[in-house]
Amino acid sequence: MNKPLPLFQRLFPQLVGAGILTVLATSAACAAVINISLDDDPGKLDPSQSSMIVERMVYQSIFDKLVDLDENGKIVPMLVQRWTVSDDQKTYTLYLQKGVKFQDGTPFNAKAVEFNLLRGQEQKSLRRNELKYIKQITVVDDSTIRLELSVPFAPFMSILTDRAGMMSSPAAVKKYGDDYVNNPVGTGPFIYKGRLKGASITLEKNPHYWQAGLPKADGISYKIMSDVNVAFNNLRSGQVDITNRFPYKEITNIAAAANYGVINQPSLGFRGFYLNTAKPPFDKPEVRQAIDLLIDRNAIAKVVYNGAVAASHSPFSKAQFAHGEADAPPKPDVARAKALLKAAGKEAGFNFRLTLPTTPYEAQVGQMIQGMLRPAGISVTLEKAELSTQIESGKAGTYEALFVGWSGRPDPDQNIYDFAVTNGSLNYSKFGNKEVDDLLQQARLEGNEAKRKVLYDQAMQLLVKDVPYIYLNHDNVLFGIAKSIKGFRYVPDGVIRTATLVK
Amino acid sequence: MSPLLKRILLVIPTLLLVSMVIFSLLAILPGDPVTAILGQEATPEAALALRAQLGLDDPLYLQYGRWLAGVLHGDLGRSFIDHTPVIDALKQRLPVTIELALGSFIVAILIAVPAGIMAATRPRGVANYFSTLVALFGMSVPHFWLGMMFIVLFAVKLGWLPASGYVPLSEDWRANLAAMCMPMLATGLRESAILMRMVRSSLLEVLNEDYIRTAFSKGLRDSQVVIGHALRNALIPVVTASGLMVSGLLGGLVITESIFGIPGMGKMIVDAIFQRDYVMVQGGVLAAALMVVLVNLVVDVLYSIIDPRIAK
Repeated sequence: MNKPLPLFQRLFPQLVGAGILTVLATSAACAAVINISLDDDPGKLDPSQSSMIVERMVYQSIFDKLVDLDENGKIVPMLVQRWTVSDDQKTYTLYLQKGVKFQDGTPFNAKAVEFNLLRGQEQKSLRRNELKYIKQITVVDDSTIRLELSVPFAPFMSILTDRAGMMSSPAAVKKYGDDYVNNPVGTGPFIYKGRLKGASITLEKNPHYWQAGLPKADGISYKIMSDVNVAFNNLRSGQVDITNRFPYKEITNIAAAANYGVINQPSLGFRGFYLNTAKPPFDKPEVRQAIDLLIDRNAIAKVVYNGAVAASHSPFSKAQFAHGEADAPPKPDVARAKALLKAAGKEAGFNFRLTLPTTPYEAQVGQMIQGMLRPAGISVTLEKAELSTQIESGKAGTYEALFVGWSGRPDPDQNIYDFAVTNGSLNYSKFGNKEVDDLLQQARLEGNEAKRKVLYDQAMQLLVKDVPYIYLNHDNVLFGIAKSIKGFRYVPDGVIRTATLVK
Repeated sequence: MSPLLKRILLVIPTLLLVSMVIFSLLAILPGDPVTAILGQEATPEAALALRAQLGLDDPLYLQYGRWLAGVLHGDLGRSFIDHTPVIDALKQRLPVTIELALGSFIVAILIAVPAGIMAATRPRGVANYFSTLVALFGMSVPHFWLGMMFIVLFAVKLGWLPASGYVPLSEDWRANLAAMCMPMLATGLRESAILMRMVRSSLLEVLNEDYIRTAFSKGLRDSQVVIGHALRNALIPVVTASGLMVSGLLGGLVITESIFGIPGMGKMIVDAIFQRDYVMVQGGVLAAALMVVLVNLVVDVLYSIIDPRIAK
């Protein structure tokens, strides 16, 4: 008996077919958009106002910089084709790429560079400190600009590899005023299309990009995923192509992963804690040295970070030319630490407060430190505080020990100078040593890398004795990345270069 | 004055009080907003300039007065961080939170009411034991874990739903529902546990009343007695609990929002607190408070519909 099929059953094959076609069509249309998860929502899309590390990820796609970094941390041309430095390290002449246009169609030229650098020096700019040595800017011609510094400053070009060197369209800055933070326009490979605060930022290919053949992808979609495990599951399910964080515990399982891998390479940053040298108990160098000797950095690197960091004893990671012997952590030695404490009159032990960030990993580090100091009779009270509270107590010097790391900069000067020099803006240890000051100052005047390294080595020899800061490790650049993504280039500053990515 | 009008008028002092409390709480939070906004590398001059620009040097009552005057003129201020008007942020976030809250609520009701009825009418049956077990599970399991398990199961293993990523309802309703499905289910499941126990106990109580016995002796069917006579009277405590639940959900589901990457109010307020974006916090809390007050109003109206004696 032939009974007519109900309508739904008759239509079912067609429905399924249409569904498959829709899915195929959508996936084909989206195939060339690269999805990158970020662990935090970028606040301001204006490099001159930027205070968050994660913002650099998005800037990288929208803005080109005057110069860039390569895989080895070397400075290479970008919007600046080549440059010369005077012998006294005070005059920098930059020769710009010709024919480059901003995404709004206005030309990029020496006048635009002048505009951006002056804007970076304005009072409300957060780049002011980085650009403070520029005394005079001279536009020589349309594609040449000369910068006179007030003091010799060898790290100057490295500063232009980051936010201070990102070029905004002067026309757009004038047009949007205060609202430029929501309407960024650069010369970069991708154009800002819009954002859904707290969820995503969408960029579209810049069809007139000046570098031939780039960008390769049709667009970039940054997705905000504050939880590292959520980002990881999105990577596993194929919804995200690259994650800017990766769960430490998953590193060990990576060999079994079918569709993703991990980038685990040295970064420029460091982690550790300040000791307040201005007040007891850390006003005595022997006490600081004892703490330094009691901590087993390798154990922390293994237990807490599962190998995603390098145990350290200096601010210079392997990705920096100043990296030297001082970076090798000492072997923990309780007997010697006890002798040092005795010399300082602290053989009975003491207690101090260690202020930690609110993250679970650092809480674990704090607990390990508690355990490591106990054999010498030192007890540690752990305290948690948000970054802004930490910075304030650091500046005011009201803390005893303060766990604040540094994301790192390409030039060693930017990882040590303000931290160690007397009255430096990041010298929360309130530490001062004339010899260290002199060496760090000399390193700023010296243009030759090899000679600078010798100076940093000498400074580190003094600092490992004075111990104003306990270096624990250099965190690695740690990304999860889908195997389908090609063209990824690791750069030690930990920022994903999107122009070459292809899926 | 009618009781309803009185309730509506009470909204004004309530909101005023809430805004004052929040303003004072923000003022005593440790951590300076200027440091939070500018970060580690700020120069003292930049900090000074920003402080003056945001009016943080003025005494608290003046800052509050300025904010209140703005609100009365329909201006909730602009974010300290990116200068976007707070009202725009609310327009984006509030619908998301309302959708998530209502969706979760519907899931909770769809599970709780039938399960509660079954458990109450067959107190020694399998349904009772099963639903008690589910309720116990729903209440004991942390919902962030449940959310994560959902992602692993439905997105990673089965690939049926997107692991996260929100699409606005106005842009693509199908993608929106696909993205909201799991968070609604995860939250709804947990909330249903509480609601189901409420339905069950309240219904059990009513089923012991004399008029129910009368209804049964008249020869009515079980379903007629339970749904037609008992349920309505059992609903009052359930509506109270539902009102509290929806109020809670509208305040924002910070953890659910974080796990599923949903840009709702909860996450907005928490992020703003961390960034010390005072104006944003004020605006967010005010909107959340308004929602809670409105839900309470609806609950009151519902009471009088379910039981007309209350209105008198």
